[in-house]
Formats: sequence, C-alpha cells, structure tokens
Amino acid sequence: MAEQHKVLLAGADERDLTQLAEYQAIGGYKGVAKARAMTPDALIDELQKATLRGRGGAGFPMGRKASLIDRKSPKPKYLVVNADESEPGAFKDREVMARVPHRLLEGCLIAAHAIESTDVFIYIRGEYLTEYEILQAAVDEASAVGIFGDVTITVHRGAGAYICGEETALLESLEGKRGQPRPRPPFPPIQGLYAAPTQINNVCTIATVPVILEMGAEEFAKTGVPSSPGTAIFSISGNVARPGNYELDLGTPMRELIYEHAGGIPDGRELKAVIPGGSSVPALTPAQIDVPLDYDSLGAIGTFFGAASLIVVDDRCCMVQLALRSTKFYMHESCGKCTPCRVGTRWMVQILESIENGTATQADLELLDSVGDNILGKVLCALGEFAVYPVASYLDKWRDEFVAHVEQGGCPFGGSSSLEGILAPSDQHAHTPVGEEALV
Amino acid sequence: MTSFYEEVQELRARYPEGSRSAALPALRLAQEKHGWLSREAIEETADALEVTPAFCYSVATFYDMLHLEPVGRRTIDVCTNLPCALCGAQQVLEAFESELGIRAGETTPDGATTLRAVECLGGCGYATVVAIDDRYRHHVRPETVPEILGGLDG
Amino acid sequence: MSTELVRVTIDERDVHVPKGTGIVETALAAGVEIPVFCYEPRLGAPVGACRMCLVEVEGMPKLQTGCTLTAQDGMVVKTARTSEKAAAGQNGTLEFILVNHPLDCPVCDKGGECPLQDLTFRYGPGNTRMSFEKLTFEKPIPISPTISLDRERCILCYRCTRFSESVSEDGQLVAANRGALSVITTFEDLPYTGAFTGNVTELCPVGALLPTQYRFEGRPWEIVDVPTVCGLCPVGCNIHATVREGKVKRILSRNHPEIDEGWICDKGRFAYTHLRAEDRLTEPLQRVRRHGLEPVSWEQALEEAERLLRAARGRVVTVLSGSETVEQAYALGKLLRVGLDSHQATLPEEISGALDAYRLPLSAIRDADAVVVLGDVPVVERAPIVDLWIRAARRNGARILDSVDDIGEAERVVLVWSGPGGRGGASVAKLAEKLGLADREGCGAFYLPETPNGRGVADAWAACCDEESEAADSIGLLVVSGDEAAADENVRALAEQAEATIVLSMYGGLASGWADLILPGTSYLERDGSFVNLEGRLQRLRRTVEPPCPDELEWISQLAARFGVDVAPYAAGVFAEVSERVYGGLAFGEVGERAPLRGYPEAQERVSSRPLPEPQQKARRGEIRLVAYKPLFSGAAVERVTELQFQRPQPELELSADDARRRRIATGDLVTVGS
Ligand SMILES: Cc1cc2nc3c(=O)[nH]c(=O)nc-3n(C[C@H](O)[C@H](O)[C@H](O)COP(=O)(O)O)c2cc1C
Ligand code: SF4
Ligand code: FES
Repeated sequence: MAEQHKVLLAGADERDLTQLAEYQAIGGYKGVAKARAMTPDALIDELQKATLRGRGGAGFPMGRKASLIDRKSPKPKYLVVNADESEPGAFKDREVMARVPHRLLEGCLIAAHAIESTDVFIYIRGEYLTEYEILQAAVDEASAVGIFGDVTITVHRGAGAYICGEETALLESLEGKRGQPRPRPPFPPIQGLYAAPTQINNVCTIATVPVILEMGAEEFAKTGVPSSPGTAIFSISGNVARPGNYELDLGTPMRELIYEHAGGIPDGRELKAVIPGGSSVPALTPAQIDVPLDYDSLGAIGTFFGAASLIVVDDRCCMVQLALRSTKFYMHESCGKCTPCRVGTRWMVQILESIENGTATQADLELLDSVGDNILGKVLCALGEFAVYPVASYLDKWRDEFVAHVEQGGCPFGGSSSLEGILAPSDQHAHTPVGEEALV
Repeated sequence: MTSFYEEVQELRARYPEGSRSAALPALRLAQEKHGWLSREAIEETADALEVTPAFCYSVATFYDMLHLEPVGRRTIDVCTNLPCALCGAQQVLEAFESELGIRAGETTPDGATTLRAVECLGGCGYATVVAIDDRYRHHVRPETVPEILGGLDG
Repeated sequence: MSTELVRVTIDERDVHVPKGTGIVETALAAGVEIPVFCYEPRLGAPVGACRMCLVEVEGMPKLQTGCTLTAQDGMVVKTARTSEKAAAGQNGTLEFILVNHPLDCPVCDKGGECPLQDLTFRYGPGNTRMSFEKLTFEKPIPISPTISLDRERCILCYRCTRFSESVSEDGQLVAANRGALSVITTFEDLPYTGAFTGNVTELCPVGALLPTQYRFEGRPWEIVDVPTVCGLCPVGCNIHATVREGKVKRILSRNHPEIDEGWICDKGRFAYTHLRAEDRLTEPLQRVRRHGLEPVSWEQALEEAERLLRAARGRVVTVLSGSETVEQAYALGKLLRVGLDSHQATLPEEISGALDAYRLPLSAIRDADAVVVLGDVPVVERAPIVDLWIRAARRNGARILDSVDDIGEAERVVLVWSGPGGRGGASVAKLAEKLGLADREGCGAFYLPETPNGRGVADAWAACCDEESEAADSIGLLVVSGDEAAADENVRALAEQAEATIVLSMYGGLASGWADLILPGTSYLERDGSFVNLEGRLQRLRRTVEPPCPDELEWISQLAARFGVDVAPYAAGVFAEVSERVYGGLAFGEVGERAPLRGYPEAQERVSSRPLPEPQQKARRGEIRLVAYKPLFSGAAVERVTELQFQRPQPELELSADDARRRRIATGDLVTVGS
C-alpha cells in the first residue's frame, strides 16, 4: 500500500518525541543553532526561498509574511502560533502537538529569530487539555535547560469559540477580550498583538520550519509541487475505512488518499461527496476527485485546500441535512459583530429547515442562493463565507435533491439519511442569560 | 496556600503590564473554584483583574467552555458535528441520554452529570468523540456507552 | 493625520484631503454621503461592524467598508451612487439589518429622527423576503431609571458599548453572548450608573436605547429644539432643549468641539424636570404677622420689597449664588449699589482673574502631553466633561499627574485645579507662572469653580458701579439671590443677624422658615442672558420656555425705577451696558451660537467673598485626611427629579486600595468615620 512521507511527524513512530532527550537524539533543536548563526534578513530570505505556504487555510507564504513584519518598530515583535484548530474535519495540529511538541517549539524559536522577537504565544483551543499538558511540559523541559535563550514561549488556552481561529479574533481573545475579528488594515505584521508587529502562523506551518533549516530551502522547495512545496498532514474523516491523519507530499492525488491510504468507502457504499478542506469549503463530486492535493490544483476546480482536512460523505447522506448541520455550526460560531454573518447564517438555517421539513417552495431555493450572495464578500471576516461556500456548492451540484425536498414536501430519504435527527448544540437549551430564547 | 487573588496576580504577571490577557485564565480558575461562573465568581474575578464585573461577564458569555449557569460535577460532551455525525454520533448521544435519563443540555437531578452535544472536538478521525471532563474518548459506539459510564468513579 | 494632501476620486469627483482622512469624511468633502450606522469617530477606531458603508475601491476585488478606509493618494472610490456592486452590497446589508427589526416605528420615540428609518426610506427594499420568526426579546427593559433598552430594535452597532468602554470608561454597558444571540446588557440586574450614561441614548442610531423621561412625550413634527447652554455646572455644555407645547421634554447635546465634543452629563440631561417640581414657586410669598408666609400679588410684593429696601439704605447685604446670569447680577447690583449705596455682596467661592493669562479651550487637554490634576475634589463631581477630556488625554498617551514635580520633559502641560484651597484659580495661576506656561504652545491652566457662573456674576457685580463704601456694622436687609444661597446654612445664620430678609428662589421650602419676602425665581432654561464658564468663555443662554413667573429682569427694572435707577427690563439691554465695561463692547447678538474663547482684558473682580472653609489640616502619620465634597448628583434641581435619585451617592467613603487593605476594609463594609 502507498507510503506516507513523514517529515513533520518523522521519528514519532519509533520514539517518544515528547521527551526532549529523544527529540535531541534525532537531531532536534539543531535548526535553532543554525538559524541563530544567520542574520534575521538572511533567515527570512531562506524561508522565502522555501515558499512554505501557510497550512492554516489561506496558504499565504510564511517567509513572505515574516518579511512584512515591521521590524523597525520600537515596539516588541510577537510570534503567535495558531493552535485553535476548530475547523470540522481538522485534527492535524492536535497530533503535531501531542506527538512532536518540540518540533513545534523549535520552529517557534527559528521563526522568532527571523522576526527579531523574544515573545512567543501559542494559542491552543481550550478543549485540547491533554495536548496542552504535553505542550506545556515540553516548554518547561526545554526552557529549563536553556534552549530558549532569551525567548519566552507562553501557551495560552482558549475557552471554546471557533472564531478565535481567525487571526485577528485570536489576537483579541489573547488580549483577554471577546474574540471578535478586527477590521484590516491595519494588518498584524504592522499592528497585531498589543498593537505591535505580529507574525501569526498555524501549528503545522511553524512545525515545518525546522525541516526547512534541516534540508535547506532549495531542497525543501523541490519536494511536493513547485507551487506548494513540502508535505502536509491530511486529516481524513467521515465515511472511509481508515480515517485518520496521513502525512503526504503536497500534490498527492485525492483519489490515492481516499482509496489507498484511507481504504475507500466501507460497507460497499458509494462515494457521494468530498469536502476537501474542512467543512467550510465547496464540496466535490466523485467525478472531481482525480485532483492533486495542493492549493492551486484545488483552487482551479473551485474549492480550497483549506485545513487539508477531507470529510468523505457516502450515498446515505441527505445533502440538505448536511447543509443544515453545517450551517447550524457556523451560525452557532458567528461572533455577532458584523451584520451579514450574524443575521445571514441564522436566516440560512431557517430556510434550510423549511426545505428539510418540506414547507419550502422553489422560491426559497432562490432565496437561499441570494442570502448567500449577500454574505459573500460583504463580511468582516471569512466565517460568514465559510457558512456559504459549502451550502452553495451542495445547492449547485446536488440541486435535484433540494428540488425533490420541495416537490415531495419532505426529505426523499424518508428518515434513512445518515444524518437523520442529528442534534446540533444550537438545538439544545442554549445558555442565553439575557433573553431565554432558543436560536431558531 | 495562595488565595485566588494572588493566583490571579501570578497569571497577570505572565502578560504585558496593563493588558487584560489574564482574563480567560482567571475566569477558568474561578470556574474551577466555584464549579460555574456565579455572580460571586464573576465579581471576585473582576476584583482581582481590576476590571468591571460587566467586562468579565461580557467575555465569559462569549466562550462555550465558561458556564454561566450551574453544571454537573461531571460534564459529558458528545461531538455531533459532521464527521462524527456521519459515523453515528446521534446514536451515541441517545445512548447517553437513555443511560443517564436526561436530554442533551440537561443535568441529572442529583447534579452529578451534565450531558451536552458539542461542536467539533478535533478528533474527527476517531468518531464518535466524547469528552468526559475534557478528556477525550475515541471511537465511542452506542454499545460501549454503558461500560464507559460504569467505568467512571463516583 | 499628516498635512500632506492626497488626491482621491469619489464617484468621478476629485478631492484633495490630508493623507489618512477617513473615506466617509473624504466623500463628504466631495459632496457624497456614505451611509453609516456603527461609524462614529468620537468613539475611537472604527470597527466595521454594520457593513452599511460598503464601497467599491479600484484595485480591490471585494467591497470595502468606507468607515475603516483612509485616504491614500490616487485612490478611486465608487459608492452606491455609481457602483452597482456597492449598491447591491448596501441593500443586502440593509435587508439583513431589517430582518429582525420590529415594525413598531409608529410607537417608537425615535420615529421621525431615526437613521435606520431614513436609510430604509432612501435605500431600503420595498418588501421583506423574511417570512420566518424574528428574534424576540422581552421589551423594553430599563437598564436604569433614566434609560430603557429595546433589544428587538437593537442593530448591534456597538456604539453604546464602545462609549462605555472607551469614552466614559465605566465598563458597565457591554455585549453578552455570541452570534445571533448577542445582546446589550449591564451586569446582572445592576442599573447603568455614572455621570455620562445618557449619551448612549443619543448615540444609538435606532430606538433601542431611549430616555425614559421622553417616552411617548413628543413626535418630531411637534417639537422644536432650542439652542442654549447648560447652567448646572461651570463647564457650560452646549445643549438643545426639545420643547413641545411650552414644556421642556428633553435635553440633547449640541456639540461644541472645544467644550463638550457633543457629550453632556446626566445631570444636565435629565434634571430638566425640576422646572415642574411641585414645590415650584409661581407667586410671591410675604410674611404676615402670626400667619407666617402668605401668597401676595406682585404689586404688593414689590411694595413690600421697596419698603424693606428704603428702610435699609446703605445697609443691604447681598448673597449671590453664582448661578445668576451676568445680566441678573448686573441689574441687581445696579439697583442695590447705585440706588441704595449698598456695595456689600458675597459669593459662595473666591473668584480670581489671575488665570486669564493661561486660558485654553478645554479641548486642549486632550492634546496635552502631561495633565496635572490638583485639589481634592474628583474632577467629575465638579465639572464632569473635564473628566472626559482628561480620559481622552490619557488615551492619547498623556501622563496624568498629581504633582507638578513629575512633569519632566513634557512639552504641552495643562494644570487642572479641582476643589477648595485654590483661591479662585490664583493658586494654580501661580504654579503656571512658576512653570512659565504663559503663552507656551498648548500649555495652560484651569480652575474648576463650584458655581456655574461665579466669574460672570463677579464681573457684573464689580462693573455695575464705580463707588465703594466700607461695610456697615449692621445688616439692615439681607438679599439672598438663588437657591444655592438659600440652601446654605451660613446664609441662614446671616439672616438671623439681619433685620429683614428677601429671598429670590425657585422653591418655597428653602427659605420659608426665615425669609420675610420670597420672590419666585427662574431656571437657566427659562432665561435669556449670558454665562461665563470655567474657561472664561462668555456664552449665550436662551429662553427655551416661558417661566411660570415674571422674569427677574422685569421686576428688578421696575423696582430700580422706584429708586431712580435705570435698568433695562430685558437681557440685551442690560448686556449692552455690562459689555461696555467688561466685554469690550461686544454686542449681545455677537456672543455666538457656539461662542469662541475670547479674552476680556477689562474684566476685573472686586467681589469680597465669604471666607472659604478653613484649609484641610495635613494628616498625621497613619491617619487619613478626610475630604468632603458636593457630589455631582446633588443640589436643588437634582433633588427634585425622581428618575435621578438612584444616581445620588449614599453616604460612602472612598479609600485608596492600599489604605483599605492595610485596614482590612473591603468594598461594601460598614465603617465609622471620625474627624
Ligand atoms: C473563521 C476562521 C477560522 C479559522 N480557524 C483557523 C484555525 O483554527 N487554525 C488556523 O491555523 N487558522 C485558522 N484560520 C486562518 C487564520 O485566520 C490565519 O490565516 C492562519 O492562522 C495563518 O496561518 P498560516 O499562514 O500559517 O496558515 C481561520 C480563519 C477564519 C476566517
Ligand atoms: S443599543 Fe443601539 S447603540 Fe447599542 S448596539 Fe444596539 S443599536 Fe447600537
Ligand atoms: S459604518 Fe462602516 S461598517 Fe458600520
């Protein structure tokens, strides 16, 4: 069967790399010395040569981001690691923190040197308690032996809010406030945490940095595909035989991941849809899965690389129920700051419910489309768009199923859908201290 | 032993002067101490952080893991987001409901256990994921629910 | 903002504005209005929340929020007027805003003066596509006795919470919950308290936050907003009095950028119902042997007043309140000094002209590098708006100090003296002199007096007569002008010594025990005339409603005539005379709607003032010095407004955190105080 290419996770199968000694035994933290021997400018050049693209979703080159940091500012510079991983379908950052925490810390030290920062914050989602403990232990162990030098790494726990994965909301939350996104400009490299220049990167992005120093940027750039070098840890979940994380070269065919690594669709079921980047991106039909897993190839067919997290859906699933459950999540997680997201996501849920329970008309399908259009491109951050992208794609590619709901006055699956009756947190008695109304 | 006030001052010392970054850690600490963020808990936290109770309340109500009403001594969170849902999370949730005799979102009459459906916990490859007092259980199936509950002390 | 001009094109029109100017302002400069809800520059950095201001910017794929953009050279902006895309975006936003907004405009106090109503009318969709359940909330709920909140109307622009967080900095009005369930709230059941809460009712762009006093009181087409100046503290905020059928129904701010920036305190906003207090005097009261005070006709009252005055020629002593208009003080002074050779008058506080060399507009505080706050009385209790300017200065990076020793290298230095012992500003003027602040860019000094128009009254009294004669040894007649004076025990003590007493007061109760003749007085909202505020700025008071009794000037001039003294019966006439002597001949009509800060070299003060309360003795080791002061929410007017009672401080003691901890005193504890 097809091989994984373990780079971020290298060594973790053979050794307990949560132990400092074990990590050092395989050459761990050598990259730091290498980096510190270079000037920040040289280091940033090296990182730019590697064209490591952000693994958090936007795919922005990490080195270029570092070059944008206003290093002349009299204020301190900050490096913030985005470990809020909350995108449905994503669980890769968690594995990195649980199994190779020191590789992440090494990446932090190198990146910090590049942007001339001595203050690193790792914002980890509150639910990841065990991972927090492992990471904190690694921080304590490494700093105790002086590996950090004058750098301090603070692990900061979130408290349950998906929006805090959005970088400016994360900064607000890290500043102790409600995690609501900030308008941009000003952008974090100029005015980020505590209004100081700030570099924000995903866990996997930073954990890849030591690899670049180990291989050298030129060699690294040769791996994966030219437009997206390196490997990525792909989280694959849903209706596959062997769900889990697989570290593969970027550019690996999606079909290979689904059918060889993940063992295909179990119980003789048919593949119905793949949501390739976490639940927030447009879904693909079975006819579209012969696509290389990299940013540009996925972009070319109208979806996103996103969080490198594939949710595989088999033929038992009602696409309206899928849309409804997905939208309830984004409605629940909307921060409430900007109008289109706060109001639009709830409106979408109401429309989808009427479609599912058979009270909708043809006009409601048009309405659903148009409410989505009024959200896309009008919102303060992308959360509102994350609610729309997938639903718009279901409505577009599985329209007949939506129409069937309208025409049959109910769900054509007649209770047999794999998502039948699924209860969303927003359906249960939500805590609403002022005004006791349920969401919908 | 150090007082809550002193513990919060230690938290504040980790962040830049004058920032409110200690708010979340402090609120979590208060919740651990009081079980939930009662009026008193919020006032005590505000006092230690030198902010208004309204500020703490405003922040606390934003985050799902901070409770503004009483919860059971034990919390059982069942992920019902897409990946788990596609693999039968609803059946798992219902198994807990019938075993505990409460609906999702409720607390057992003896105040021992609160059961909730929650959004994605980040264990999608190991569905269904259930967090018991924030410790993850993977691959939970309806038939394993009784033994899980049986295995819990107290 | 730099002074470098950049060229920006708005809807095909080129404008040149300073680099960094907001696009909303830039568009206005081009004569284009970009609709906004959440944008309000006085609340700090824009938040881009409501998405009403969407515009298309050349070179940017997505629509941008005009409120968060700043002018860059060569920028090409298309608003909804010329961009289909922007128009579509804006309509979408407006539809979203209306999705949960109730259709109760007909019974909404905001109706007719509501930005949401106007924008819906101009840009909005004809019909709604929302056929599902709207969010519902219990409505309206009081967030304090003075303010009600209707959460269904709220569009979550976060103006109110931003005011609470970053203008008044009280941190009490906040947003709770997340997403669609977000609501505006205070903590638990606590009312929104503080000196400035009412401003949120003006900031709210919809009918969500409304003043309870105004509920169902007026419709926009039935009211007039009369521009005048608040007379309840020495700041003199510019205000509008909303008048309907001869009654003041509401007080609104009337942004004077140098004085109040459009903020007013809750006393100035909500205390207006004192005009209609039950114990308001409408006719004169005369003491009749054995029967006590009895209502009499004005004719009889003036007869009696004349009799008492003649009997006390040369021995009339006057107690002023410092809340009289310049004209009233001048008219009264002329009657008593010229007509009755009685020159002796007292003011509740010392007034000094020494500060005139260090005058600045209040707004200069915001731009200072260092603000030194001296004196014992919290600034907010004496001159609330000054507190907001000082907070703004701190947010701008100024150092707020309590001693001149720490000024260091600071360029722009502003001194503020709040409380007794300031010798009417003389002390702080001396400090300013020592520091050489005179005519140094952005430097100056303020003294926060106790009375709203002490300076104007002093000027007028001094100007109305050139003679002087030393005080008589007995008080033939005591003339007590104004409620503040009438409420003062020391004045009562004086009345004991006097052979007779005349009191000018709005309320019967104050002097009923000891006055021989009480003449009904008017409120600042009922007067034409002028005030001088703590900046030394001469401002114009306008009569917003007719008083329930004759205006002071009318009967003073009648009375004066009986002593052969000529006093005009109307403000303009009296002012002309004062102005000749004090204000450089400035005409009444030129004082100005938004008065500039002018200097008046002729201004002089010869008013002998009552000895000040003896200076606080220094605390000995381990002891704490006890300082007592008049709180903002006190005085004859406030006491008569039921809605404001919750704001009146209970007897309370403030301690520094250290002192408290050292003495193991916690918030809410009962303590016994001795001095
Ligand atoms: C609603 C929303 C949620 C997001 N959640 C995450 C997340 O959980 N983890 C993450 O790394 N990036 C997340 N992002 C992307 C971040 O905003 C940011 O682009 C990223 O952390 C940058 O790191 P990178 O350049 O290394 O990818 C999210 C973005 C949005 C709009
Ligand atoms: S109450 Fe008014 S000001 Fe406050 S958020 Fe709602 S609409 Fe805006
Ligand atoms: S006015 Fe620009 S977003 Fe509200």
